[in-house]
Amino acid sequence: MPDEIRSIDCNTAVSKLWDFLDAELDDEKMREVQKHLTECSDCLPHADFNRRFLTALNEARQRNIMPPALREQVLSALAADGYFPAR
Amino acid sequence: MAERREDEQAKNESFARDALPWMDDVYRFALSLTRDPADAQDIVQETYLRAYRSWHTFDPNSDCRRWLFTICRNAFLRSRQQGRLEVDVTDADAEAIAAAREHRAMIEDGTDRLLASVDLGPALDRALAGLDEPFRSAVQLVDVEDQSYESAAEILGVPIGTVRSRLFRGRRQMQRSLVVHARDAGLRPASGPKGSRGSQRHA
Repeated sequence: MPDEIRSIDCNTAVSKLWDFLDAELDDEKMREVQKHLTECSDCLPHADFNRRFLTALNEARQRNIMPPALREQVLSALAADGYFPAR
Repeated sequence: MAERREDEQAKNESFARDALPWMDDVYRFALSLTRDPADAQDIVQETYLRAYRSWHTFDPNSDCRRWLFTICRNAFLRSRQQGRLEVDVTDADAEAIAAAREHRAMIEDGTDRLLASVDLGPALDRALAGLDEPFRSAVQLVDVEDQSYESAAEILGVPIGTVRSRLFRGRRQMQRSLVVHARDAGLRPASGPKGSRGSQRHA
């Protein structure tokens, strides 16, 4: 008989929602929150909103680009300290 | 001597292979700390110089990016002559519940639909830049740089619980900023086939 997933209430699910979206819960708690979200129409919108928020936030990686000249600046400073690129 | 030359070459090879590829990431993190591109560039340079000088202390089996972020943050704190940032540790679970409560209010007044119809990217960049420390670095590390709670805790030199509470508080503050942004921009929810000013659909 498969292990039953414990049912949790909305308060518990919401309090762990960020941890769930960050995949920072243990497997059992991940399943519990996932089960609650599939069954609860009140909590699912919070998960969807937060997921969209985190996805958009993560895309900041593509928006904040290092100035091209900085790499040369850093390599020059390192060269003064003895760094030389491998041949 | 030939042996010394070989040691230097090995050091430079491993530094080029393991440390240099993370320069863009270190710059992003430095920029999030300083909120000034020129200061960020100085911090990046100092980070790499310190990393090179202490390269012999780096464990090649460990996470180089995490190591560089730690050096970067320490360089930033030195530049501001700051010690450890003390902050009241709030209840992280309570922050998550409060965020859901505020989101419920957004649903009820239609703001949630406004936000679903616009590109959140630029607004999020402003919201993140506007966050106070220590919340900003927690959000930058976990949400932008994909660090785990444990990794962020090591970089910031705080317990994991502190990372959680700073992170969740930072996210909640950013979500509040989005609400203000949506209202200030005078956005209206998309209605009908024509949509509305400034709206974009995102998967």
